[in-house]
Amino acid sequence: MSSLEAGADDFGYEQPPEPKPLTPASPRELKRLMQDWRAGRATRNVLQAMSDAYVAVFAAVMIGAMVVNVIMKAQRTVAQCTSATCLSARAILPWAAFAATVGVALAVSRLFGPVLASAAEGFWLLDAPISRSKLLRSRLVGAIVAAFLGGAVLGALISALTGSGLTEVLVWAGATGLSAASSVAFAAAQQGIERHRLTHLATYVFGVLAVGALFSVVGVAAGWFSFGLADDVGIELGLIMIAGSTLVLLISTVLAALRLGQIRRTRLLSGGALVSGISGAFFALDVGLARDIVVERRAIERGHVHPRRGKGVGLEALIWREWQRLWRFPQPLLVLAATIVVPYAADALGMSVLTPVLAALALFGAIIPLLNGLRVLTRTGGLARCLPFSLARIKLASIAVPAILAGVWAVATTPAYLGFGDGAIDRPVPEAFLTAVATAAAGLLAAVRWTQAKGVDFGAPMVASQAGAFPPGLVTNLFRGFDVCIITTAPLLLGLSPWWSLGIAGIAAAILLNSMDAETLRARQAEQQKQLAEQRKQRTEAAAAAKQRKR
Amino acid sequence: MAKRSTILKVSGLRRAFGPNTIFDKFNLEVRTGEAIALTGRNGAGKSTLLRCLVGADRADDGSVEVCGNAMNEASPEIRRDVATVIDDLDFFPDLSVVEHLDLLARAHGIADPDEAVDEVLEEVQLVPQSGQLPGTLSSGQRRRLALATAFVRPRKLLILDEPEQRLDTEGVAWLAQRLKSERQKGLAIVFASHEPELVETVATRVIQLGAARG
Repeated sequence: MSSLEAGADDFGYEQPPEPKPLTPASPRELKRLMQDWRAGRATRNVLQAMSDAYVAVFAAVMIGAMVVNVIMKAQRTVAQCTSATCLSARAILPWAAFAATVGVALAVSRLFGPVLASAAEGFWLLDAPISRSKLLRSRLVGAIVAAFLGGAVLGALISALTGSGLTEVLVWAGATGLSAASSVAFAAAQQGIERHRLTHLATYVFGVLAVGALFSVVGVAAGWFSFGLADDVGIELGLIMIAGSTLVLLISTVLAALRLGQIRRTRLLSGGALVSGISGAFFALDVGLARDIVVERRAIERGHVHPRRGKGVGLEALIWREWQRLWRFPQPLLVLAATIVVPYAADALGMSVLTPVLAALALFGAIIPLLNGLRVLTRTGGLARCLPFSLARIKLASIAVPAILAGVWAVATTPAYLGFGDGAIDRPVPEAFLTAVATAAAGLLAAVRWTQAKGVDFGAPMVASQAGAFPPGLVTNLFRGFDVCIITTAPLLLGLSPWWSLGIAGIAAAILLNSMDAETLRARQAEQQKQLAEQRKQRTEAAAAAKQRKR
Repeated sequence: MAKRSTILKVSGLRRAFGPNTIFDKFNLEVRTGEAIALTGRNGAGKSTLLRCLVGADRADDGSVEVCGNAMNEASPEIRRDVATVIDDLDFFPDLSVVEHLDLLARAHGIADPDEAVDEVLEEVQLVPQSGQLPGTLSSGQRRRLALATAFVRPRKLLILDEPEQRLDTEGVAWLAQRLKSERQKGLAIVFASHEPELVETVATRVIQLGAARG
């Protein structure tokens, strides 16, 4: 008999008893366990932490009180206005806020999930033999509640600022909050079946509705048409919206909850990775990096494109590629087109003096997505080093297409500066055109400055503060771009000639585009210092040699 | 026999981070058809030296000249003559693989960019990925694309930092032969590497940086 035939017992091996089936922990037990661990490791409780940061808490309370006070004052002032413009704004702007909130909630939900999980949860929990639906349910509820609160605050704010009464403010806060919550629940229900087309479509539809509502305000102010809405109709419409949103919220939440278990782990983790990347960038106050992460994510989602042949040689090839890339991802063009409404709406709402600043800020935000090429070429030197041109010429080529679009934007917004709404500032056509050009230049150059911003240098000398040491760039980075907007449009705000603004824009362009940026200046300074040190060394050596000869 | 011209001249280069001197009084002259391999353990200063050579980092002392011009990263002449693949190469997230190469070929004024791009694309074995956006490429494929950006354009000096990184065995063998052929055609090459096969096949001179491990 061979050893194999003899059986395992001949080698002293005993069949182990059948293991008792283990009962997996429930998601609730696991969460409690993690909470216990976390609480056990905490060195301070919430009250102690707040007492340590009492200055920040006190500042937040003070600023919050001031903001609420300003809003209430504005509400009282605007409530007294009974012109057609004010009435139309009161009737339509909450609708615009409602549509914009739904659009943003859908877009953000689609980008992040909305249901997501961190990498650690993905590795340790999602593979465990526990119900994934139960584990993720709190995430879904959290996202819906956050959307409700965000939407409600925005709805209340817009409604109050248009001079609506308390009841109307509360109704619109509820309607906007519930609509945002139902949008997130709807996106979650779509996420469960891996479909995003409807979410995508709805995002665009509500975006267009928001812009359309803004156009309506402008149209009423210009006297093109009127709605003839009664004063109390806002409350009735708001209540109808609450009922509709609640219905969508309930159905979508039930569907989303039923489908939670079907969401793939990779989809949950990619949303979590995006959040952790963006939150990391925000902790370093590097908004540019946060945007880079989102842009990269969108490109990865697209994955593959139909390659297009380039055109021209030299810088022409670079400009042509910028144009092609814009057509490949044309969404920023829609945003740019939508911002044309801003100066008209501002003028129509009686904010004629502030119109250039508001319009420049809107254009600033709209142009940033058009400067992705400039961003890639300036964030590291690698790609620019591959191109046989000076950095100044590369920058000019990168902004050629956005500059043309800003020019078109200036032409399209010129009528807004002619004196559009009631009590608006009237300007002759040439001055209105120059004002529009100066505003467009401010927006474009602000976006260029924002795009070229380098991350904060944490190796630089720190500034001491009560909250601890921080690098000076941490604060200045936050205002990048906004500073150019404000400084360039300041003469318009003060009622000076637009030529002043154009002059300031010229100086800003020279600094931002001719490579006279801080980094190059520092490099030149270092080079000059090095040359000076060398000359000094040579002079000392020559003097020493002369002394030696004399001896 | 024609005298080979000097492409890169480094004199008395010094770089220190605080009290740590990475290299000091470093001199190097590279002529056409020469390939210099920089070797040494991690942290020996290979990448720092290469960054100083391409102008991505500023040396504390000394000078770097390329074809007789003082190194200035922003100079179009330097950018025209020097092709680099170091760790800071970035890609446009919304341009495909083939479009990146097409852009570089056209920017450098290559007469027939389509042919040049197709040739390089085939060589780096990225033809199936030609329409992919860089974010979807594997790390090895990204490395191949980075190398392709250096090969698709005219150059007099090629500077590479560990070009074998993330390449498979077949890829390293291809790279060694490609660099050898480039050198034989008169290109000057400076590269840092940990890959003995690559160093042996390509280098005409090997410079060991930093002290050997005790």
